[in-house]
Amino acid sequence: MNTFITILFVVFAVYILVAAIMTVTVKNIVHAALWLISSFFTVGALYLLMEAEFIGVAQVLIYVGAVSILILFAIMLTRDLEGTQNRQMTPRWWIALIVPAALFGLLITPTVLTYQWQLPPPAPAGQSTPIAGAAQIGTAFVREYLLPFQVASVLLTVALIGAVVIAFEERERRRYVPTLAEKVRQQQRVRRPDPAASAMQSSETAGSET
Amino acid sequence: MTEITIPPIDWRVATQLCIIFGWASVLLIIALFVPRSRIRVVGYLAIAGLVVAAGAGIPFWGGSAETFGGMLRLDTYSMMLNWLFLAAAAVVIAYSLNYLPKHGIEHGEYYVLVLFATAGMMLLAQGGDLIVLFLGLELLSLTLYVLTGFAYPRETSEESGMKYLLTGAFAGGFIVFGIALIYGATGSLNLAAIGDTLARAALAAEDRTYLYAGAALIVTGFGYKIAMAPFHMWAPDVYEGAPTPVAAFLSVGSKAAGFAALVRFLVEAMGSQWPVWAPALATLAIATLLLGNIGALIQNNVKRMLAYSSVGHAGYMLLGVLAAGAPGGMAGQRGVEAVLLYLLAYMLTNLGAFGVLIALEQRGELTWDINQFAGLWARRPLLASAMAICLLSLAGVPPTAGFWGKFYVFTAAWQAGFGWLTIIGILTAAIAAFYYVRIVVQMFTAEPSRETPAETDPALRAGLVIAIAGILVLGFMPAPAIDLVQRSVLATVGGQ
Repeated sequence: MNTFITILFVVFAVYILVAAIMTVTVKNIVHAALWLISSFFTVGALYLLMEAEFIGVAQVLIYVGAVSILILFAIMLTRDLEGTQNRQMTPRWWIALIVPAALFGLLITPTVLTYQWQLPPPAPAGQSTPIAGAAQIGTAFVREYLLPFQVASVLLTVALIGAVVIAFEERERRRYVPTLAEKVRQQQRVRRPDPAASAMQSSETAGSET
Repeated sequence: MTEITIPPIDWRVATQLCIIFGWASVLLIIALFVPRSRIRVVGYLAIAGLVVAAGAGIPFWGGSAETFGGMLRLDTYSMMLNWLFLAAAAVVIAYSLNYLPKHGIEHGEYYVLVLFATAGMMLLAQGGDLIVLFLGLELLSLTLYVLTGFAYPRETSEESGMKYLLTGAFAGGFIVFGIALIYGATGSLNLAAIGDTLARAALAAEDRTYLYAGAALIVTGFGYKIAMAPFHMWAPDVYEGAPTPVAAFLSVGSKAAGFAALVRFLVEAMGSQWPVWAPALATLAIATLLLGNIGALIQNNVKRMLAYSSVGHAGYMLLGVLAAGAPGGMAGQRGVEAVLLYLLAYMLTNLGAFGVLIALEQRGELTWDINQFAGLWARRPLLASAMAICLLSLAGVPPTAGFWGKFYVFTAAWQAGFGWLTIIGILTAAIAAFYYVRIVVQMFTAEPSRETPAETDPALRAGLVIAIAGILVLGFMPAPAIDLVQRSVLATVGGQ
């Protein structure tokens, strides 16, 4: 049984990593979103494996359900953001690799050096209790964590109001905001101007700056 | 199904918070039914709510209580800060009443967001638990991101909102990570409980590492909020781009709230570790003093200059924080008082200075060049005098509020044994006097290079009068304010 769980864990963990890497490397942004969703789903499975059933279910409901739909909608509603022809790597990508790797090494070193790698003996069968059942979490929210729970709900309301205030522009004042892809393409055109388009280009940039 | 009993809640502790949260929610709905042309009514209602909340605190002054299992506190320290926040919010709203229509960004939500930000600040002053402090900080930051970007038809506003969001989110990450490490080391999130654990016995070496790493991360996170060097780089850009009343709110309220929480965390939870964190914080204080004041020296843009000067003022307040943690009761109490008095003086002064900037600001013309102040005395004597009083108070010239703030901070630092730090503070104050006086000279002696119209309206004038009167009253008669501040004690410092 134990080896079976270990195998399952390794399969899930490897899949999560592969999916996360695919998310940032595939060119098509819709494919990237789908990889991300599959990664979310497997993380939920990992939670279930750890007997944290409430977090597992919440992960599937919120991340796989709500967040991924939101991401897909955002991709669909954003104009012209396929991104298939955008460059994925910056010229100095190796710096971006070294710095986080060094920081991660710094953080993990004390743990590796001081942690006693002896796992506690497994609880006898039938006595293991779930880490945090839905009932305990619910009780904690209305007892000792009542104030943070309430403040968090206010926080979400404020975030909602803020999003509406920022995003909702009245029609007469709406100004043209180019998407990232458009900006990149514009820059590429500036870099290699072809004589026919250069006249139009200059008037366009002048127009967008006013 | 077992019945869940909610533990009893001491509503006195949460009265002011409940009023602000409730009134903000109600106003959000009222704003829907107010016609667009009369939306400033919402602003007046918001000020009324702030006044009621301030009055509701008076009966509870002097006591010390906590509720929600120690998560929310009410001592004289937090009550004093609550009043500061409410007053700052009221003045900012008064400034905005005509600023918003002038710049075509009048929405009822603006006033509601200011109220929510005030509630976030009050949570930071009253929170006795790291989770509450974090949530208060996020509530404050989130509203301020939106308010900074509120003038979104203007690209600089949008840009500064984005910059603030990115640095703020980064700082939030630091704080959460720090909280997690401290929980791992001490097994508690309650400030008082952490303080007890640390005072009772020395931690294991490994736990101590986590504790210090966590504390460093939390100080870094709050360092962003109070614009402490080297985490101050966002401040000039954000102040410049934000709508000016919001910049005033940022420079005053956000900084005061950050300090409120920082003092509570360092004194209450980490008080016994003072010998460890004091040298580190002293180094940061020196860096803040030097970078802020020297950075301000080379600015020609007055709004950016005020941003750098607010960084410098954070350095002076850090001297007070250092003294606040000093062992031996008396010195520590002096430090807390010094921070509060400095905050009071700084708040009045900065609100006044930004008020003058608002009067000079024209729509579509977004320069705050120092030349705009040239010859202001000849054209608008009252406005010029108001600005001069604010600048002299910022420089710490007697008899203004700023002088007593600096005096108190330096005495507290000296008593706590930071003699050399006090000397650096006095030296940088001398540097600072140069760039403040430069503007005064411009206003009184220089010929106007061009005519800059200045407009004031009754609400703006009322806000300015309150700020200037406060500076002068505090300057000439500091005794009542000092008396008030001396009664404001952290429950754990003076309450035992």
